[in-house]
Amino acid sequence: MKNKSQSFWLSLFFAVSVLPVVAGFVYALLYSFGLAGVYEIGFTLKNWAAILSSPEIINSFLFSFYIAVVSISIALFVALWFVINYGAHFDKGILSYVIYFPLSIPAIVAAFFIIQLLSKSGLISRIFFNLNLIDNINSFPDLVNDNLGIGIILAHTLLAIPFFIIFLLGLYHSQNLENLKQLSFTLGADKKQTTKRVLLPILLNKVYPTIILYFIFVLSSYEIPLLLGQQYPQMVSVFAVRKLQRFDLADIPQAYVIISVYVLIVIVSLFILFRKRKLEYDFDN
Amino acid sequence: MKKIISISLISLLSLIIFASCNKKVKEENISNLTWEKIVEKAKGSELTLMMWSGDPFINAYMNNYVIPEVKNKFGIILNISEGQGSKIVQILMAEKEAGKNKSELDMMWINGETFYQLRQIDALFGPFLEKLPNSELIDFNNPFIKYDFQQPIDGMECPWGNVQLAIIYDSLKVTDPPETMEELESFVKNNSGVFTIPTEFTGMTLLKSMLIAIAGGQEELNGDFDETKYNKYSAKLWEYINRIKPYFWKEGKTFPPTLAQTHQMFASGELYFTFSNNDSEVDNKVLLGLFPNTSRSYVLKTGTIQNSHYMGIVKNSSNKAAAMVVCNFLISPEAQLKKMNPEVWGDGTILDVNKLSDDYQNKFKNIPQRKYSLKRDSIQSKALMELAPEYMIRLYSDFRKYVIEK
Amino acid sequence: MTLITKKLIKSLGIFLILFPFLFLLGLSFSTNWRFPSILPLEITPDNWLGLFSFSGNLFESFILSIVISVSVGLLSTFTGFLAGKYISETIIREKIIFLSYLPYTLSPVLYAASIYYYFVYFNLTGNIIGVIVGQILITFPFSINLFTGYWNSSIKNLENLVLTLGGTKLQSYLKVLIPISKRMLLIVFFQTFIISWFEYGLTTIIGVGKIQTLTIRVYQFINEANYYYAALSSCLLIIPPAFLLWFNKKYVFRKII
Repeated sequence: MKNKSQSFWLSLFFAVSVLPVVAGFVYALLYSFGLAGVYEIGFTLKNWAAILSSPEIINSFLFSFYIAVVSISIALFVALWFVINYGAHFDKGILSYVIYFPLSIPAIVAAFFIIQLLSKSGLISRIFFNLNLIDNINSFPDLVNDNLGIGIILAHTLLAIPFFIIFLLGLYHSQNLENLKQLSFTLGADKKQTTKRVLLPILLNKVYPTIILYFIFVLSSYEIPLLLGQQYPQMVSVFAVRKLQRFDLADIPQAYVIISVYVLIVIVSLFILFRKRKLEYDFDN
Repeated sequence: MKKIISISLISLLSLIIFASCNKKVKEENISNLTWEKIVEKAKGSELTLMMWSGDPFINAYMNNYVIPEVKNKFGIILNISEGQGSKIVQILMAEKEAGKNKSELDMMWINGETFYQLRQIDALFGPFLEKLPNSELIDFNNPFIKYDFQQPIDGMECPWGNVQLAIIYDSLKVTDPPETMEELESFVKNNSGVFTIPTEFTGMTLLKSMLIAIAGGQEELNGDFDETKYNKYSAKLWEYINRIKPYFWKEGKTFPPTLAQTHQMFASGELYFTFSNNDSEVDNKVLLGLFPNTSRSYVLKTGTIQNSHYMGIVKNSSNKAAAMVVCNFLISPEAQLKKMNPEVWGDGTILDVNKLSDDYQNKFKNIPQRKYSLKRDSIQSKALMELAPEYMIRLYSDFRKYVIEK
Repeated sequence: MTLITKKLIKSLGIFLILFPFLFLLGLSFSTNWRFPSILPLEITPDNWLGLFSFSGNLFESFILSIVISVSVGLLSTFTGFLAGKYISETIIREKIIFLSYLPYTLSPVLYAASIYYYFVYFNLTGNIIGVIVGQILITFPFSINLFTGYWNSSIKNLENLVLTLGGTKLQSYLKVLIPISKRMLLIVFFQTFIISWFEYGLTTIIGVGKIQTLTIRVYQFINEANYYYAALSSCLLIIPPAFLLWFNKKYVFRKII
């Protein structure tokens, strides 16, 4: 009885969670080698050669990595600073509620907000103009669709800071860091030492898997770079979808090359993340 | 573990069998039906039209006029879904590949390279144009309507509107707009950061107009796609663009991906120029309050592309009758008249007005005049024919390769 | 730091957090607000009143999004709850948890592109069912991931106790397991609801532009540069999750990522 139910649920899990990923990956591979699609031409390496020989894909991945690293570093730094210094202030009162609010903002709205705020015709530019800090609209710096991905990074940071603050606050409580902090003071450590030797190591160790997952999440993001990005280089999802849906039909197999490479990268990073780590999940944390 | 895999495979297999049983659709030869039968058959159908939805006026025309009218007149529920060009091709290609014989889409707004690609994958229904009673009113003597990117339309798509590319500027900021490529070059060098080319259909149409200018005129590039000629002239075009792009918006490091964004930046003063494939666009955008009323439009001395846009019907649509009825309504004098009004959309008609009743002839003559755009007659002599679709496809990908990624 | 400056900083922080909401709300109530005006020239309820009008049709999208997200949330929560119990007992539990991370860490738009072919094959494109199925491919593993960690020996011992005392399997669920897991069920429901509610990439591909959820409408309005409607639909997107937060802030927070 039990075994039967177990295999039923396991099969369901495989059918819903594993099979589609595998099937999708196989399809992408087949397509990229010219073995699927309307323009079937038989096995060919030319799509892989075309993509791998152009700087586009490397730049796209590098740009995505850059965005993910910078966004998460900023968000994590800010969140750690808040939680370590003001952890107790988020416990009660209005702030303990308000800090949850940004979680109700979807990525596409965050991107839209950043456009309205930071583009050359955005709110900040208008304020600058009215304060005579700039004399015309074109003197305002490029903050969206810019070369450095500033708009993308800001939108991601906007979403990530509250997320990490809440996450770290949870850890702060579950790991009894307030007590440890006091203990460390009692034992004669100063504030800097306490932060560096006690609080940071505990928090970072616990938050590490989440950082990696959030990293992949930013790396894969679509709506934000779609609206705030520039034409070249583009983040991976935007790049692949462009190849998939634009201009030249011969580009479609190349889109599947990008998707194959991307899926491989995600699988490998997850594998590295969880290879040694015992998976645990603490409900109350 | 083995058991699990076999169970999941079996369940998948049964799903596939289940799905394929579901897929048989009765094919009826609609071409043999009379128009009355077609209208009758169309009643109660619900169909999906995929079209570019980047313009509030066009959307309003569809949502507030066409959709209610076809519902009241013919009992057809018309749904619009957002998408154009290669997205349409991509969807229909995937359906073909999966062997699906009932498409998600029924009709779509297309022209040129999309028409070409859809014909390549044999995704269009037709010829159906002659079936439409109103098709008799179409101005087929006009080569700009009869040929879509040099391709005879062969009744495989239904003309809907006819427009010419215009450049829009603010006469308050630009007193003497550049009318040739040389003038444009010196203009951007003196006014950097206020000119750009959107990387979509309109921008590519501008590039095509320039390509024709470089080639020394229309005749050189007429006919089928010519790789040698394309390479020769496009190289010059990229050389030209790359030479002046440091003076473009954002130093030519990026380009706006949509026309709506370009319009917005023009409206806010970030750009001094925007473009439109609709030569009367200035009027409706001034009316909308988006553009300042000092906006004007013009065309290059060497001419700009004039083309028509069309409605196509999907070969695997299960609502072909309804799609034909909608097409016929879209080319009816009343729908065309409404569409041509600059306060509604301002899209040029594809009808031969002389074939219409006196009443309609009068109405067409009395459409509110364009206030800010150039009159159609004054730019007709500068109208260039579209080139073969491959030129457009190549311009899209080469603009990326030789300009954006440089 | 004096108490006043501390209070000031705190108020500033609260203002900064709330600013995006106020700004979007303001934008949704204006019609003519552009460079160089700092404040809208005109405040009007027209956009909101147009919510039910024909051309806006936003309310329809709102209902559609609710239907999709509630279905996705409920289905993935309950199946995940049941499946999690059995999966937590298997010897390949760790591997399952590892595998369950994959679907929802993948970029939804690229995941959708890679399985689009199969969806076309099964007639699952361009309809609500297809979008729900597509989103469940992301939320179900997420739910499994949470529940597999949740089912521990103490909960199972309770179940065994009920069975030993002569209770039926159904009774053990209805009277014991579901009630004591109420909080966890709510957490998983809210979180899967929100994944679905925020979803754009997969929905746009699988829905072929025909299934116009709110996120898709926001993108369309941005695309046609209709910023006031984009702001209006953004507000509609924010209201339900904000309401859930108000209902209970703890439930909405995603635990694992």
